[in-house]
Amino acid sequence: MDRREFVGRSALYGMTFWLLLNVPRPNALRAAAESTEAAVFSEEEWRTVEAITARIVPTDRDPGAVEANCVNFIDKALAHEDAELLPTYREALPQVDRIAAERFGAGFTELEADAQDEILIAIEARDVSGWNASISSEEFFEIVRSHTLIGFLADPKYGGNRDYVGWKLGGYPGPRHNMGGYTPAQMIGEETIKAIWGEEI
Amino acid sequence: MARSEDYDVCVVGTGAGGGVVIDQFTAAGFRVVALQRGPHLRTSAFVDDDELKTVVRDEIFSPDQLETWRPDEGSPTETGRFNMTAHCVGGTMLHWSAYSWRFRPDEFRVLSEEGPVEGASLADWPIDYEELEPYYERAEWDFGVSGDPGANPFGAPRQRGYPNPPHPDRSAGLRFKAGARKLGYHPFPTPIAANSQPHGGRPGCLYGGTCGGYGCPIGAKGTTFAVSLPKAQRTGLLDLRPNSLVFEIALGRDGRARGVRYIDQSSREEREVRARHIFVCGNAVGTPHLLLMSKSGSFPDGLANSSGLVGRNLMLHVFTAASYVFDEGSRDFTGLGSHAAIDDLHASDASRGFIRGGVVASDNFVVKQPILHALWRGNSYPGSDRAWGADFKDYLRTFSRTSSVLSVGEDLPMEANRIDPDPEVTDEWGLPVPRMTHRQHPNDVAMSHWHADRLLEIGDAAGAVDRWIVLRVTDEEPRKGSSHLHGTCRMGDDPSRSVVNRWCRSHDVPNLWVADGSVFPTSGGYNPTLTILANAYRVADHFVTEARKGAL
Repeated sequence: MDRREFVGRSALYGMTFWLLLNVPRPNALRAAAESTEAAVFSEEEWRTVEAITARIVPTDRDPGAVEANCVNFIDKALAHEDAELLPTYREALPQVDRIAAERFGAGFTELEADAQDEILIAIEARDVSGWNASISSEEFFEIVRSHTLIGFLADPKYGGNRDYVGWKLGGYPGPRHNMGGYTPAQMIGEETIKAIWGEEI
Repeated sequence: MARSEDYDVCVVGTGAGGGVVIDQFTAAGFRVVALQRGPHLRTSAFVDDDELKTVVRDEIFSPDQLETWRPDEGSPTETGRFNMTAHCVGGTMLHWSAYSWRFRPDEFRVLSEEGPVEGASLADWPIDYEELEPYYERAEWDFGVSGDPGANPFGAPRQRGYPNPPHPDRSAGLRFKAGARKLGYHPFPTPIAANSQPHGGRPGCLYGGTCGGYGCPIGAKGTTFAVSLPKAQRTGLLDLRPNSLVFEIALGRDGRARGVRYIDQSSREEREVRARHIFVCGNAVGTPHLLLMSKSGSFPDGLANSSGLVGRNLMLHVFTAASYVFDEGSRDFTGLGSHAAIDDLHASDASRGFIRGGVVASDNFVVKQPILHALWRGNSYPGSDRAWGADFKDYLRTFSRTSSVLSVGEDLPMEANRIDPDPEVTDEWGLPVPRMTHRQHPNDVAMSHWHADRLLEIGDAAGAVDRWIVLRVTDEEPRKGSSHLHGTCRMGDDPSRSVVNRWCRSHDVPNLWVADGSVFPTSGGYNPTLTILANAYRVADHFVTEARKGAL
């Protein structure tokens, strides 16, 4: 398979991999460890992005993107490794609000979930008028979608997946290649595995 | 340090091919200088690997990779990173999944078996299975393959077993095996070059779950990084130069390669190193790219390219894959890439609507770690048109119950599929990046279609509650690179129809050799690395014998 297939057909990393070459890599890890305050987002941007992530992985009986603090992951990524995408967010987010105002007469964050979904479906389908950005609305949506999922499921040290909620949802116990691996009985499910948060799964 | 002209051999690239010849030459007492474009990592570097850093962002293996791709000569190129290679010392083998197959005897004589096929440039290998067999054995023992030598009734015949017993089972592999047996197939433990017990001074595998796509933090996985290069360094005869980006093979007035010119990426200086023989082992992208950049008065179309075939016949394999969701844990986040396989679909049968075949393995590439599981759902799932929202969250909940299955099939060589230096796009050093031109043969598409149906049947027989195709070769969707690269400097007896001879020595330049996947005339229906290793041992044996006779 090719590299894009290997990383799961994510437009985000199809698009940005080569842009990131030779960029000094001040570490989002360090930034995430230091603070959960916004590094690049304004208060308004933070709220809008958080509201979008909440529709991508909604909260139900289990925590979703809000509880995982995906917006914090995205903020730290845009401050560092994915800094080239910050202008994309900056030009697209006001348009999300504009579309919300045109269709429902309020800002995106003030809308009910169903209305927010309707807007995001239209953005993903390029079914929006007056979209004015360097990339299509579909590509922008794919970037936020990928960022949200990665923030939900990456190691919490990157600023998302708070309290391991992403890993708990799917039953992933955390990395073990540096902690002694697994026994043959664990590999066939005859022995439980102690997850990184202490639970036996 | 030795004077530069004092080297017997210069080896470009330290992956499967380069690592083996470096080991064999230093063991024979030759002085070797080896150049690798990326850094020399320590094993401990892999302890900190995580999915985002290592796989999604690829900050470890080849952060400087840049390529272009187009489907045919008339189309514009896309710029990006398409092939899954690694630039650090040890090459792409550092993050291989370690599947270790011997090609079947018929895979060395595809033209004779099938006859000519329209649109394809089929060829027989100049060597046969019997010639390679002892070298397969040596590769299996040096790199610690674990498996059951009698368990695959469709595999190549062998004189000797594997050095290590098979790896233990994993839940998903047991389900796969049960489903395969119901359909009359013959499942067996996938032969993997990772130790199932201590072997060769290296420990047994701990089954941490991150094998393919990752470096091994304990050296249990057989790689030239862990096996060949440390051994070569202990001889004191190896001058290993990491961060050395070779951009030209310089030709002397006598028609022999004089040495190689490279950029020392640490000092940012240009250097040249001379040696009596040059081995190019840069994989089927890097090797032709380097030869074609090495133009001179005698070789205006690239070094060793009198046949015009350098860079041509690029083969990427036919990958077809399915996801299965079970009603209980798959444990696919543990263990190795694969613990079970079938080879019943391998024999060529034109009545299926295509020729050639491939191997099918239960493989954890979707469920190794959670980000890839989420991203793989992407646009492949047929049950819903949205890869986000409430339904998608239900998919995320299936992580620990999901498994995947992968078929690796032989693709047909086509001369139009090739690598050459891009005339427009350059890298940070101003060098042209490799340009890939590739379109799949109709046979590849037909094979993938048929294999997809078989994978779904196996899923049903295994009791999957949901299953769907996540990867296939279609007419519509182009192939943009691969983790399996072969064919761009094919070996053969006829200098007008091949780039190197049966000893992988250039027909044109007598002291220039190639030892990597480039030399494959056809791709075989198996992961290629064990064959690259075996062929490198064979070529090294010949080189050492002839050199000692003074015949080179």
